[in-house]
Amino acid sequence: MRLLIIEDEPGIAGFLKDGLEEEYFAVDIAYDGKTGLDMALINEYDLIIVDWMIPALSGIEVCRQIRKSGNLLPILFLTAKDTLEDVVFGLDAGANDYIKKPFEFEELLARIRVQLRTKNKADDSLSAGIVSINPATHQVFSGSQEITLTPKEFALLEYLIRNKDRVCTRSRIIEHVWDIHFDSDTSVIDVYITFLRKKLDAAGSGNLIQTIRGVGYIVREPSVS
Amino acid sequence: MSMKPANPVKKRDFFFTDWSVMSLRNRIAFYYTSATAVLIALMFTSIYFMVESVVYRQFDDEIRNQISAILSESHISAHDFKGFDNIKEIDNENNDNDNDNDIDSKKKKKVNVDTDFVQLVNKNGEIVNKSTNLSWCSLAFNPNESGATFFNSHFEGSMVRQAQIPLINSQGITEGYLIFAVPVKNAIIVLNDLRAIFLFSFPVIILTLFVLTRLIAGKSIRPIEKVIATAEKMSQTNLDQRIPLPYHHDELYRLSATMNALLDRMEDAFQREKDFTANASHELKTPLSIVKGTLEVLVRKPREREHYETRIQFCLKELNRMARLIDQLLMLARHESNKINPRIEMIALYPHLESVIERMRLSASAKGIAITVDHTENDRIAADTGMLEIIIENILSNAIKYSPSGSSISIVTERSANTLVCRITDQGIGIPEEKLLAIFERFYRVDESRNSGTGGFGLGLSIVKKLADLQQIKVSVSSKENRGTTFTLIFPDGVTKSS
Repeated sequence: MRLLIIEDEPGIAGFLKDGLEEEYFAVDIAYDGKTGLDMALINEYDLIIVDWMIPALSGIEVCRQIRKSGNLLPILFLTAKDTLEDVVFGLDAGANDYIKKPFEFEELLARIRVQLRTKNKADDSLSAGIVSINPATHQVFSGSQEITLTPKEFALLEYLIRNKDRVCTRSRIIEHVWDIHFDSDTSVIDVYITFLRKKLDAAGSGNLIQTIRGVGYIVREPSVS
Repeated sequence: MSMKPANPVKKRDFFFTDWSVMSLRNRIAFYYTSATAVLIALMFTSIYFMVESVVYRQFDDEIRNQISAILSESHISAHDFKGFDNIKEIDNENNDNDNDNDIDSKKKKKVNVDTDFVQLVNKNGEIVNKSTNLSWCSLAFNPNESGATFFNSHFEGSMVRQAQIPLINSQGITEGYLIFAVPVKNAIIVLNDLRAIFLFSFPVIILTLFVLTRLIAGKSIRPIEKVIATAEKMSQTNLDQRIPLPYHHDELYRLSATMNALLDRMEDAFQREKDFTANASHELKTPLSIVKGTLEVLVRKPREREHYETRIQFCLKELNRMARLIDQLLMLARHESNKINPRIEMIALYPHLESVIERMRLSASAKGIAITVDHTENDRIAADTGMLEIIIENILSNAIKYSPSGSSISIVTERSANTLVCRITDQGIGIPEEKLLAIFERFYRVDESRNSGTGGFGLGLSIVKKLADLQQIKVSVSSKENRGTTFTLIFPDGVTKSS
């Protein structure tokens, strides 16, 4: 999952990136509103965290512009403005959630998970066939057997399962699993897919990820025969 | 549970309470009407008594004339009375009526009370003689009065004005009295009518006056009602209401205008206070969030020693920044409430300049900035040393912060007349002219993006201003963009200050 953080305080942006990357997110940072808006409109993000008081363009304006472009991706406000009016104003501008500074990092993580939660599902867990993953604990199970994955492997599998029964092109996979600093050499995907397949094979669900030649990969829900 | 003392019952005089809650319009009406009531009462009474006395004086004059006519006609002298014997008949020649005297008929006939009557009595009050028209009746005699008197009396059911003249013989002894009476019925009717009119009109006038005054007072204080209504609508969060100005440029207009000006100032002060709080909370919360978040992320997983060290160093830097901000906020707060009085003493400026420069040398040399001082020998000023150094330090640290590497900062002191002038000039980025006025405001920073790139909070110059004001030091600033900024400190005349 790829996130964009629009925050002018390098200190805050810094630890957010640190902490979120440890949670297997790909994280991009913009230090002002204008850059942030451009990045949000050009790249595909799964979620945006935006500060209210940022130079060039306020967080509110960034939020409005994104919504105006018809993009419905989740937007979290992260700001020191803490009055009731501010919260209401922020949410009305199109934000999905509003977190006041100073905040608990764990709470931020939980709120991000809520926003990424698949529709019509009560919890965060994702599954395809007998493979199920838990984004909160970063655990992967094949049946009842746990599979140990590296963060990148996990992120890749998570993305594929979130988009199951849909073809994930190489470029989309790069966009959502790696951050902006990654040069778009898509051969790295093949390497990770190989690692993933090996580990899944060992747990007995080897044919979960299928290759669509020349396009990308797909995870299919096995048809019950 | 704590016992709450019972509410003390306010025992106030009912009358007093009633008065204290009386509305202004009622009070104005009441006072005005009371004053007018007293005046009108006095006026009515005096008019009544004046008319009465004029009427009676007229009667008395007439009576006097009649009496002298009777006396001369009857050859009686009031001062040389010869006795009753030689008086045969007294009658008023004005008695034009029934002289066809028939005793019997007269007896039965009711006495005509519309004519004058004469009666002579001896000193014991026994009737000696009387005019025929008195018939069987007699006039009242007042034995207690020995001199000539005029009085009102009742005669046959109607009012008469009576005169009682003593008749004195040649020895000076009162032998008897001549009593004369004229009817005053018409006059009494007039007087009674007058009194009735007065008594009736008085309450009507007073009542009408009260109602009218109350109406007028109510109308003239209506702008006050508007003031109250507006004030009631106002609250701390909603200070944008203003009192509508009345049409007439009177006292109420001035009151409303003054109130509006006060509200303007209050709104301004509240807004500044709100901005200050918002700024302070942002500036304090940001480093707090950074430290908290960094540490939270740090403890989630075991890490390399190096990783810990860089993050902890980073947090310490943020904490130091926060400590600086708290220091500055506290300093401002303390001086804001004027709790600290400057300890003004006569000092030489130069040593303090030197000690501040010494402290700043590290940060200046890090940017390759040279600080030169050109000072006058005669630089004694009246100032608080601690505050003075803070002022210089804040100005200097700004100069260093906004100057390019390798530039220079010059400090010049010179004496002009009785004051000492100190100029601190840098070759920095300067301040746009339209922003010069704002730089002394709390949390104001010329560079609007509030990131900590330059490390300032926008409090330094507001502290300078505050401290300078406390010591009567004048601070001014001039600047050219990209050329540099000059801060000028003008110290007060220390000679007169210390004496």
